[in-house]
Amino acid sequence: MSLLPWFVAAWLFAVGLYGIVTSRHCVHLIGCLTVCQSATYVLLLGLGFVRGAGPPVFYDHPPGMPAVDPVVQALVLTDIVVGAAVSALLLAIAIQVQRRRCTLDPQALRPLRPSKRTAE
Amino acid sequence: MTPRSRLVLLALAALILVPAIVRIALVLPGFGAPTALYGQTVNALLPDLRHVTNMVAAVNFDVRGIDTLGEEFMLLCAVTGATVLLRGARGERGNLRAGHISGRPVLARADATTLVCRIAASVTMLFGISVALHGMTTPGGGFQGGVIAASGLLLLYLGEGYAVWRALMRGPILALLEGGGALLFVLCAAGPLVAGRPALENVLPLGDLKDLYSGGLMVGVNAAVALAVAGGFGLLLLEFMEETRVPADDPAPEEAEP
Repeated sequence: MSLLPWFVAAWLFAVGLYGIVTSRHCVHLIGCLTVCQSATYVLLLGLGFVRGAGPPVFYDHPPGMPAVDPVVQALVLTDIVVGAAVSALLLAIAIQVQRRRCTLDPQALRPLRPSKRTAE
Repeated sequence: MTPRSRLVLLALAALILVPAIVRIALVLPGFGAPTALYGQTVNALLPDLRHVTNMVAAVNFDVRGIDTLGEEFMLLCAVTGATVLLRGARGERGNLRAGHISGRPVLARADATTLVCRIAASVTMLFGISVALHGMTTPGGGFQGGVIAASGLLLLYLGEGYAVWRALMRGPILALLEGGGALLFVLCAAGPLVAGRPALENVLPLGDLKDLYSGGLMVGVNAAVALAVAGGFGLLLLEFMEETRVPADDPAPEEAEP
């Protein structure tokens, strides 16, 4: 039971990695990357969990009560927001790839070739 | 590289990685009984030292404030990069007409949709501002509040349609929010340096526990993050929505021949 969170995180990462390796579409690839990233959230929050403890917000219960680790929560919080913005950046790159190469299949992308529009 | 050879490569990597992951999972401290001292030290000391009740915000904006400054600039870089990539291909010119697939009927929006969206958008934005303002006392803070407030903008789009939404959303204002928030964060970090103190040292009066103003300099940093996140996500929404407008009106600039 106490190993389950770590293996859930490893499983999420493995599923995302398998998706990245077998991906045939850039948007699908970005989605898989987000799945990989969510594995880190499970791992970090699992590392900070204290059995029987409350949230690290001492508004209702006085300071000194047992609380879970706030450091990993802060890490996950900023990670989610920055991760969303980075996903947007990757999607913008995907739009540019579609526009210049007329494909979103990572297999079909070959570096250092003139784009189809300029070649025509 | 064929998909088959990629899978073979992945299997080879897994042969090495899986035993390592199993080994590490077995020696990690048990779930629910962590041995790390940093977080528990923060829980024990920070309510007295900084007069705040939300330890997550205290870690983000004070104890590890410099880390958050780095995160903030990662956000700024990602938003700037996405904006430059999309705008660079599209040109700066604004356009009030949305794209339309020929053959698909355009139905008038029901009044009920507009009404519900106006109410829901106002409530969502107010809730976002409230979550951001109460970041020091209750769960919340600039990151969450900024994202909630920016998501209210999408409800406006749903209720008002593209033309009105586009007239309401001003790109420069959103960019100013984004950059201004980052600048405010830098000023908060550099302010104590002017007085000869370490960067981000909490030089302001700390306020009272459970008060709206508590945590001193953290209030400024929290506001900076809220502005930057709301502006950044609003800008991303605007840029991606601009991609849907009529393409014929604004042809993409031709690439220079090599």
